Amino acid sequence: MIEARDLCKTYRVEGQAFTVVEGINLVVRKGETVSIVGHSGSGKTTLLSLLGGVTKPDFGQVMLEGIDLWSLGDDRLSELRNRKLGFIYQFSSLIPTLTALDNICLPTAFGTAVDNPADRAIALLEKIGLADKAGFYPCQLSGGQQRRVAIARAFINSPEVILADEPTGDLDEETEREIIDLFREINAESGTTFLIVTHNKEIASLADRRFAMKNGALKEVPF
Amino acid sequence: MKKINLFKLAVNNLRRKLVRTILLLLVAAVVSGTLLGATIFIFGMQNALKIGTYRLGADILVVPAKNEEQARTALLAGKPTSFYMDRGVLDKIRQVEGVKLVSPQLFIEPSSFTCCYSVDVFLVAIDPATDFTVMPWLEKNVRNSLTGNQVVAGRSMPVMEGATIPFFGTSFKVVGTMAPTGMKFFDQSIFMTMDAAYRMAENSATQSPQPLHLDKSKISAVLVKTDGTLSPERVALRIMHALDDVKAIASDEVVNTVRRQLSGLLTGIVAVSAVLWAMCLFMIGFAFYMIVNERQRELGMLRAMGAKRRHVFRLIMLEAVLITLVGGLLGLALGFGLLFALSDTICNTLQLPYLMPSPLVVQELLAASLVFSVLTGLVSALLPAFLASRLEPYEAIRTGE
Repeated sequence: MIEARDLCKTYRVEGQAFTVVEGINLVVRKGETVSIVGHSGSGKTTLLSLLGGVTKPDFGQVMLEGIDLWSLGDDRLSELRNRKLGFIYQFSSLIPTLTALDNICLPTAFGTAVDNPADRAIALLEKIGLADKAGFYPCQLSGGQQRRVAIARAFINSPEVILADEPTGDLDEETEREIIDLFREINAESGTTFLIVTHNKEIASLADRRFAMKNGALKEVPF
Repeated sequence: MKKINLFKLAVNNLRRKLVRTILLLLVAAVVSGTLLGATIFIFGMQNALKIGTYRLGADILVVPAKNEEQARTALLAGKPTSFYMDRGVLDKIRQVEGVKLVSPQLFIEPSSFTCCYSVDVFLVAIDPATDFTVMPWLEKNVRNSLTGNQVVAGRSMPVMEGATIPFFGTSFKVVGTMAPTGMKFFDQSIFMTMDAAYRMAENSATQSPQPLHLDKSKISAVLVKTDGTLSPERVALRIMHALDDVKAIASDEVVNTVRRQLSGLLTGIVAVSAVLWAMCLFMIGFAFYMIVNERQRELGMLRAMGAKRRHVFRLIMLEAVLITLVGGLLGLALGFGLLFALSDTICNTLQLPYLMPSPLVVQELLAASLVFSVLTGLVSALLPAFLASRLEPYEAIRTGE
């Protein structure tokens, strides 16, 4: 499904080079849930962005269904991100001037295979238990509700891969539990592939395989 | 339910920072309003000059030398005045080489128009037998030439055709009104025959508390048509050479004087407009540079969810166009309103003729101003929009955090 081949990424800060991802090889199969744990600054988020085609590796390849992401032009890569990938961030990523419903529908403004995005968005709102909050603006929602709306947004175009970066960060235990249940449900229903960067042991335990990241290197951790 | 699209997103983005959006709208409004106001004003003055000099119909205006300035002011600003010279100049002017037609005019002392309004009126008496400046207009618009106590009123006079108006104790019937020219000499005048003027003067002794004295051997001005063999300027020189104490003003000279005044004004207006435009360009450009900077994370997220570079570019451009379009419309209304309110004051201060351009020209100017305003938005946001579209998604998300 998604494969990393010898991925490397180095940042330069004030003339000094920092290698955050170093020669990573990873194969994630369709429908599989993979969790990546690691300390802050270990390169987890950068790895996720490399796999999601939002940052270009210095070396190596990212293959999605056999296609090398960085061999594509920007338009084609954007289409691919729009249709096949869904991102969930560790921060509040909703547009403050759009309602929950419009926030969920936002990716369809750039392309969609969904016939009626609004209907699908309403169905997703029902699934996350916020059907009555469709017309609410982010400031009228709690942190947990905002995170759930962001998750629904990631699913609007029925992506094949979800890349979640600390999806339960900053949330209370009850909300964490709701989100974990939501992931389980979606995974069971649609067979979506999940790559989750997390500190949360419970989320990590959801995964079919667990990886730990340290100093830019990735290592599988047995259960 | 309305589908989410770039337009909706742009509108919502602008609503997010309402104060900033309103300030940018005002900048765009001031620029488009100023440009429109200035353009219509300049067109209006040129229009008035064109129509006014055409309506004057004479190549040369001969007046007493000492009253030259009064004559120019009367012609351009319509300031009522009266001055006299000997009627004998008519024959002498007629004999000057290059002169084809001559016709006298009598400017009668200013009189308050006391019918219903308080408007200064300029009474001009013409000689229907020789007139070639007012009569051609009358022949086209009034069935018969002026007779008896008939008068023709300029467009700015608050009288209707058929109305009776008194001057110095004599009643006159308005048989026609003139089309607007923008020159107050025509728009704010009442034209009557010389015979009617003399009768009015005679009657005023017994019928008016303000007696009028007119000497039949005096006239105020002579309008001259040249035969084309010599230029009006040369004929004017010859008239001044042949006659003492007169000033012969070629109409081209009057037009050129106004054009010179207009040219200075035009340069000033263009300079102020250019500075305003440059400031607007810079302010909108800078504002959008800031907008792109503060929304980096959001733009990065849009790219991560599938927005192409052109989507981001269009989004920023759309916001700039919306601001300059709405600001432009606001400015057009503002500029137009101010022009209506202030054009008389400005013209009176500058002593220049003014006539609102035709509705078609005004429509074209409105459309051009709006297009210009929108183009300003497009140009100013071009660089920020381009930079926004080139942001690497992850870098933008990280930098924006």
